[in-house]
Amino acid sequence: MEPTAVDPIKYEMYFHRLWAIGEEGRMTLQRVTASPIVAQGGECMSSFYDTEGVMVLACSGHLRFAAATSQAIKNMIEYFKESPGFYDGDQFFFNDPYVAGSHTYDMMVIKPIFYGGELIAWTATSTHTADTGGVLRGGALEIFHEGICISGLKIVEKGEFREDVFRTLVGMCRDPQYVGLDMKAMIAGNNVCADRYLGLVEKFGPEFVEAAGRRMIEDSEAKARAKLRSLPDGTWVSREYVTTLDRKSRKAVAQQLYCTMTKKGDELEFDLEGTSPQTDTDHNSTFPSTAAHITLALTNALFWDVPWSDGKMKPVTLKIPEGTILNCTFPAACGAAPRVGNVLVSTICECVSKMLYAAGRVDDVNASTTGNLAYAGGPGYFYGGHTRDGIRVAQGLYDIHGAGMGSAPLRDGVNTGGHMNIPSAGISDIERIEMQYPFLYFTRGHNPDGSGFGQYRGGLGSYRIYWIYGSQDCSADYKPYGGVAQGGYGLCGGYPTGKSVLRYMVDAGMELLDRVKQGEYPDGAGMRDGTWGNVVHPDGVPERVALPEGSLLIDYVAGGGGFGDPLERDPALVLRDFGRGWLTPKIGEEVYGVVLARDGRSVDEAATRSLRERIRAERKQLGKPPSGKTSALDPTQAGEYESVLRFHASLEIARRNGRHAIRCIQCGHLFCGAQENYKNYALRRILDLNDYMEDALPSGEPYIGEYHEYSCPGCQVQLQVDLFCPPMGGDPILWDTRIDV
Amino acid sequence: MADAKDYIIGIDTGGTFTDVVVMSPSGEVWTAKASTTPDEFSRGVMDALTEAARVLDVDRTELLNQAVLFKHGSTVATNALITRTGVKVGFITTRGFEDTTEIMRAIGRVDGLSEEEIRHATWVTKPEPLVPRERVLGVRERIDYRGEVVVPLSREDVMDAIRKLVDEEGCEAIAVSLLHAWANARHEDDVRALAREADPSNKVFWSFGSELAQVAGEYARANTAIINSFLGPTVDRYLGGLQTKLEEGGLEGPFLIMQGNGGVAHRGHATPVSNLQSGPAGGAIASAYVAGLLGHPNAITADMGGTSFDVGLITEGYWRYAAEPIVERFRMLQPIIDIQSIGAGGGTIARVDEETGRLLVGPQSAGASPGPVCYDTGGEEVTVTDADLVLGIIDPDYFLGGRKSLNKEKAEKAVEEKIAKPLGLSNVEAAAGVYDIVNSKMSDLIRQQVVRTGHLPEEFVIYAFGGAGPVHSAGFSAELGINKIYIFPTSPVFSAFGVAAADVIHTRVMTCQYIFPTQPEGPNERLDTIENELNEIMTGEGFKADQVEFRRFFTMRYRRQTAGVEIPLPWDRMTDERLKGLQEMFETKYEELYGVGAGYTKAGMEISAIRVDAVGLVTKPELKPQPVEKGDGSQAVKGKRNVYFTRPERGFIETPVYDNALLKAGNEVAGPAILELPFTTIPVPPGAKVTVDQYLNLVMEIQG
Repeated sequence: MEPTAVDPIKYEMYFHRLWAIGEEGRMTLQRVTASPIVAQGGECMSSFYDTEGVMVLACSGHLRFAAATSQAIKNMIEYFKESPGFYDGDQFFFNDPYVAGSHTYDMMVIKPIFYGGELIAWTATSTHTADTGGVLRGGALEIFHEGICISGLKIVEKGEFREDVFRTLVGMCRDPQYVGLDMKAMIAGNNVCADRYLGLVEKFGPEFVEAAGRRMIEDSEAKARAKLRSLPDGTWVSREYVTTLDRKSRKAVAQQLYCTMTKKGDELEFDLEGTSPQTDTDHNSTFPSTAAHITLALTNALFWDVPWSDGKMKPVTLKIPEGTILNCTFPAACGAAPRVGNVLVSTICECVSKMLYAAGRVDDVNASTTGNLAYAGGPGYFYGGHTRDGIRVAQGLYDIHGAGMGSAPLRDGVNTGGHMNIPSAGISDIERIEMQYPFLYFTRGHNPDGSGFGQYRGGLGSYRIYWIYGSQDCSADYKPYGGVAQGGYGLCGGYPTGKSVLRYMVDAGMELLDRVKQGEYPDGAGMRDGTWGNVVHPDGVPERVALPEGSLLIDYVAGGGGFGDPLERDPALVLRDFGRGWLTPKIGEEVYGVVLARDGRSVDEAATRSLRERIRAERKQLGKPPSGKTSALDPTQAGEYESVLRFHASLEIARRNGRHAIRCIQCGHLFCGAQENYKNYALRRILDLNDYMEDALPSGEPYIGEYHEYSCPGCQVQLQVDLFCPPMGGDPILWDTRIDV
Repeated sequence: MADAKDYIIGIDTGGTFTDVVVMSPSGEVWTAKASTTPDEFSRGVMDALTEAARVLDVDRTELLNQAVLFKHGSTVATNALITRTGVKVGFITTRGFEDTTEIMRAIGRVDGLSEEEIRHATWVTKPEPLVPRERVLGVRERIDYRGEVVVPLSREDVMDAIRKLVDEEGCEAIAVSLLHAWANARHEDDVRALAREADPSNKVFWSFGSELAQVAGEYARANTAIINSFLGPTVDRYLGGLQTKLEEGGLEGPFLIMQGNGGVAHRGHATPVSNLQSGPAGGAIASAYVAGLLGHPNAITADMGGTSFDVGLITEGYWRYAAEPIVERFRMLQPIIDIQSIGAGGGTIARVDEETGRLLVGPQSAGASPGPVCYDTGGEEVTVTDADLVLGIIDPDYFLGGRKSLNKEKAEKAVEEKIAKPLGLSNVEAAAGVYDIVNSKMSDLIRQQVVRTGHLPEEFVIYAFGGAGPVHSAGFSAELGINKIYIFPTSPVFSAFGVAAADVIHTRVMTCQYIFPTQPEGPNERLDTIENELNEIMTGEGFKADQVEFRRFFTMRYRRQTAGVEIPLPWDRMTDERLKGLQEMFETKYEELYGVGAGYTKAGMEISAIRVDAVGLVTKPELKPQPVEKGDGSQAVKGKRNVYFTRPERGFIETPVYDNALLKAGNEVAGPAILELPFTTIPVPPGAKVTVDQYLNLVMEIQG
């Protein structure tokens, strides 16, 4: 199909102007809002749509919103076109996650734009506003418990602000001022966008604007397709886990996300068949939320240079089985959808990263970008109660926006790097937090051993130790401790994040201050071993837990996944991380095979060499190929193959007499044909998480996962570490990469 | 020889040139320049002074001797930060928070990057911290947000830390920034006292967060202290050395240092970190000064150079500060004049996107090397300068006053192959497209800057700077609906001019929380504290109390908001009545900014910060107006050439070329015209005109 013809120069001016207008709208919104998560965390968005509701352009902000609003408009057109109808000056409030968005806290205000009496476009602004009334976070059994849920209600009618609608909506929330300011912020943002959009129509004419909008959608599609064409065809598979509460047993239960990604020519398909059934908690994702998160993952990992319009998703097909946690059936609750969504982003990125590596796009490969929740259990970060000044505590505190980023093929991940959902996200200063929450922090630091290990380790996550101070009614949501890591992955032999990410609460009491004055100082080890009081583990896993004054909490944000075999890591970097308090000597030896001198100031090189040799020997001795043999081919012919495509740091596809096989780049070991799973012929060791983790779960329940470590039979370089959760079933030997040659 | 005495000397050391402006009380102005000498910046300063003395036809000693004020802005601090060549610094902070400057609030990963860079999320990394984690030490102490001591300071920890950092690590400087020291500086004061004990000879350069900023936000405040220490010894050595040279050279008057806040201060009162961005500050002062002279309440400074387009604003006569300015990717708490940039300059690359056929202009730049195609130095990508050349706007034989000759043929060929052919346009249409697109993008940036202040572009005039600013000014101004553009023949030495015109300014910002309904006593006491402190400094600067002018600002917001609106206070102290007035002013301003109905009185209001600027007015030159002579400037015509104009109609017009040096005050040149200056070219579209005003500034009026 020929692209819509537009004057290329006017088009370019129009393109940048539209973007600038959206930015102006978003900045307006951010400065009016009351939410720190919107103002500082950037959880908001301004965007433009054509008359049918197809997104023409979204501006920087929260990527989830960029992918979410189209459907809300399309739905409104279907339901409300006749009654109440759309008029110049109308603005609609919307927050129904079964139509668009992730959960009821994703709020939008949508405004039709009229020119010469005709509806010519739509503009919308969105915020994450964490109060809709309903039951407090964690307690919802169905969507009806999750507060106001509106699929379109005029909050401004023909330019008149509807005080009745506004009061009714905010009146149903716990914190009407906070919600009210956010609604006003969205209205203000839309006003700016619509006014300025009309200026564009005046300048360029309605026909041009219409054509340019169409062209922008076409251009995004063209860019996306061109990108896809430049990548090898094949199928990639990933499997990640989440955990939630089982209401009957009052214990943690795992679910799996299973993704098969097939790329052919300029088309990409995601089939989520194999994903677990929906739950009776709020731990579910609606189809719109799932679609939004897949779009978000692709925007970051694959289509980062494609303008943000709906066109970019045209080459992408989604198959999401109904009744699963990724496509829950109404009226399932879905407050925790972003949690499921974060792990989904990780699941998608795992496939995409492997595909990008095979295309040689090394700069774009990233081991575990977001969604790495690790063992998130215990008290959460959705608070209730009042501060020392008697002010209501804002619900969410988003240190998760400072997660460690994934490692890359040539460098460590960025420590506390941010959050991929929101490219410009940040976390708040503690000085600002303490003005708004009844907390006294004792630490915010990089979490030792807190990322995936590898030749290049993941970026470190953070941890915080804080004490409840000056509040008599503080509370938080509470999650069961799951025995399997949630989300995250390593690449090419690197590990997913795993260790030292357990949350605790201990009853330190008010005497803590005296002890600190005497010279003691709370730390993670002391909180685990009882030095600072008893670990509080409420019976029956309540949805919410009281945080009495004097409680001491430790909380983690997970780091990124690792890349490559940890035995290949430069020992100097292990020494550096130790010196900075970011790595314990135990991990240095067990995982990296690096021995430090007794004073901790240098590497004992001889001891390191022999330890690394010993670990490789163990891999050889204890690892067994699942198929019983180390090659499906004649290994003596390895040298006769010539390289065709490198798809992994240590593996390539090579060819001999028209036949393609998988070969080790390091030592030339020949595994099998290219249309077979190399893991069947690699040395596999299974590591039970109960033997691997440093600390038992505070609930006393066992870990329920295993690491499956695969290494090359020829040179013992570690090729892949898969997390497998036996109770969830499925083939333990994941066939993750199948390239069409 | 000039007979003026009581000179005011302003010197600005930039990246390439060291500029000097000498002004006499009678309003005469002399300028001179010398090459900047990065190996020893003070040599360039002395060279420039020698040159100035030659221009004035006096002896250099005499020039210095007769200077009543000597003001200096230098790039030394900025340069040391860019090249990361400060001293070895140690950092002492509250125990448990040693990673704060590595965590960088996570936002440090994207701070200082452009939108395009940020979108490549897997690729963006954090800058290396100035103090490696090994030299960050925590001490036991804790103060809460109300300023109450929760855990007393451990002297032992402090002494240990000093010993480790100084004796073991060999740090030349130490920065100290403790949690909530903005609310109560007691522990930092205690550390200072201990430091005197441990380091009686004052070998180590110390910086304290609470001294540099009384604002909440531990990350940016820690950065401020660290950068101050990182730059301190370097800046001190430089300024100390220069002062000695100047005094030996005859200077007896005060030696004042230009600060990024737009004011000067005596050496002892100017912190090293305040030296950052003094060059752009000089430009802003000059603009504000000229705006005052010309009666412009609002002006946009638009500076288009080789790689970037920088926009600053003068509103109601003053420049604006950024809330948490980012310099070299580090977020700080310092009053620094707010200037925003995008990648749009003469070297900005234009190309056709392979997949979509879009004509993309920027943000990539060919820079000075390989440079535009027409430079003939290996550049192969079409740039904005190449397009300007193809359109006949710039003369290949008179680029930068003839200092560089351009290869027009090569530029034409590149435009044809890389842009015109793929898009099916004529060569000229393609070049005009590049010209239009870059102008449009610049106007978008300007608009963004203007509207976020609650103003509209049409309330402003444009001051166009840089080699490429005047070339494109008619284009981007028309897009904004602004029809008056000023171009200053003195703009190459504008920063030095601004330095010479700068007043002494000290700024204090304090975080606070006064929730309405509130009593006037709280804010008044806070004002007393700040002003007493400022008075003390101003006394040190040599000002009597009645010579100091205070400018007061309250930041207001609805409860729970994180961003506020700064309201200039028309009163010196608050009363109940005035507090009511303040709320009204806030709500009015708020609706101005965000639209009618955006305000939400019920959420409640609070004062969240107080800022006071103490301004000591210093003698300023009165620029002498020139006698005005009517005329069409035809005496200055030096030739004709074909120039492409995009408005009011598109096409080539045979256009007279004027030598600006030959124009006289009062001359009116009607478009189409080209005015050539040694550093830039001004295309005057048909229907527009340029008037030379009584100060020899060029005023272009265009049709909207």
